[in-house]
Amino acid sequence: MADETPLVEIRDLAVSYGPVQALSGVSGVFRRGPTGLLGPNGAGKTTLLKTLLGFLSPDRGRMIAFGLDPTREPLEVRRRLGYMPEQDCHVPGMTASAFVAFAGELSGLPRDEAISRAHEVLYYVGLGEARYRNVETYSTGMKQRVKLAQALVHDPDLLLLDEPTNGLDPQGREEMLALVHDIATRRGMSLILCSHLLKDVERVCADVIVLNQGQVARAGHIRELTGARRQVFDVRFKGDSTAVLTDLRDLGAEWREDEDGVRLFLPEGRGPETIFQAAKDCGVQVRYLKPGAETLEDVFLQALGH
Amino acid sequence: MPIYDQGYRRYVARSPLQAARFWPITREALRMILSKRAFLALVAVSFLPFVVRVIQIYIVTRFPEAGRLLPVDGRLFGEFLNQQIGFTILLSIFGASGLVANDLRTGAILVYLSRPLTQRDYIAGKLAVPLALNLLVTLVPGLLLYLAGLLLAPEKYLKWSLAWIAPAIVAHALAASLVVGLLALAISSLSKSARFAGLAFVGLFFGLETVRLVLQSGFNRKEAVLLSLQSDLHSLGVALFGVVDPQLDLGWIWPVLVLAAVSFGCLAVLRARVRAVEIVT
Repeated sequence: MADETPLVEIRDLAVSYGPVQALSGVSGVFRRGPTGLLGPNGAGKTTLLKTLLGFLSPDRGRMIAFGLDPTREPLEVRRRLGYMPEQDCHVPGMTASAFVAFAGELSGLPRDEAISRAHEVLYYVGLGEARYRNVETYSTGMKQRVKLAQALVHDPDLLLLDEPTNGLDPQGREEMLALVHDIATRRGMSLILCSHLLKDVERVCADVIVLNQGQVARAGHIRELTGARRQVFDVRFKGDSTAVLTDLRDLGAEWREDEDGVRLFLPEGRGPETIFQAAKDCGVQVRYLKPGAETLEDVFLQALGH
Repeated sequence: MPIYDQGYRRYVARSPLQAARFWPITREALRMILSKRAFLALVAVSFLPFVVRVIQIYIVTRFPEAGRLLPVDGRLFGEFLNQQIGFTILLSIFGASGLVANDLRTGAILVYLSRPLTQRDYIAGKLAVPLALNLLVTLVPGLLLYLAGLLLAPEKYLKWSLAWIAPAIVAHALAASLVVGLLALAISSLSKSARFAGLAFVGLFFGLETVRLVLQSGFNRKEAVLLSLQSDLHSLGVALFGVVDPQLDLGWIWPVLVLAAVSFGCLAVLRARVRAVEIVT
């Protein structure tokens, strides 16, 4: 039977940088498995990770990781975490194998074990051939992989990935996501994927926490959040659609404009006939109507109030 | 084969955290510094005064009349260590300027602090590097010189009345190595450029010494000694080894207080700069 105890539990957490409130009243849990931490830039995602690492002390509330308080026992918590930061990080002058082995040693591995694990992990992330090259000569994609390798080397219980696809080209991004997906599914490692890219989170994670302006805007299983709760239609009207949309809003529908027209979200029990009827009543023609599924992007944008 | 199909083994055995958590930091930094030939050459050059002093002791034991020109007594060690302070400054410029600055530049600070390491472990690990290098050119040759003195001229040095020499060498070498190392590290933490940190370190040391010389020779202010760290360290040596230097006759209490204040100041700078989170308000 799977262990349902959450790895990380957050209760009414508030963190500030001087006068700037970064997190306010955040509550939630990170269970075993992959969880996405989603939000626009400045939402407080990295602050949450840094609080988990014990770098920041909460002004209010509590965070419990592996049954421990990161503020009081940061070393024990960090020993069980692997952190891949958003920005570049490497020890200057070191080859990838030396760097990853060094990272393993800093995490408490014996030197021999750290060296052996470093080679293994570098092969795993696809840097086996380049492992004796100085990290400073690496491309952006390779640097991202070596960052992942240094976070994995000591086999943490929870991997924190802060924007792992940042700066990668489409192929590099695809490979990185495949790697993260593999870590989460086949290798059974729990991870928190922090990103502002919805597709990345959707591809890898089962659960998601959406942060906005330092608060939890939505949280839960992605399937539940994006399930058949609402009906979605991509619609294009001929003529002034303002009146139609106002009528539909009165019926409980939500909408947002996108590049090609309008994305309409109808409440449960309403179908496309509602749209046709409203259009007819307002003397507007429906030129295009395509049923769609509610995506994480929709949930995300709704949570942000768009 | 997709990259993720390659092997990955979960690591089961967990060993307890090492007691000396700072040691891998020191070891790797020393390994990188000592792999540079130019640096090794500088270390070798810093042993030349030691060779010269051993020859001096040898000559005086063979030709006692030479002792009038080249006296060999407790003061010899004080003068020798004062000379070696110059080398500690040089070694710190090339060996310590980049220790924190490079980590700040490349983001490595996060690699360290996201591990089971404290800020104190990091600072201790980095500080041990200049400390070890500085002790290598002060304490090691100082004690070797004392040993050479005991072996070559036992009639001069093998006396209870001169038993203070070894502790004095240890105290002076430790004080000089620690202050110079701390200052180099603190300046390194104030910049993301090792070159800039090195220049700032040189500027601070030699600039303050120049100011001291100007104030002392131009205005005859003996308190000016306190301004220069080099002179403060020399003053400590003067007090410990009984060297007579009319320019440094301020006693040892004030220079020691200045050195202690500078050391605490450097630690405060390091504590403020070595952080995983930079808070800008």
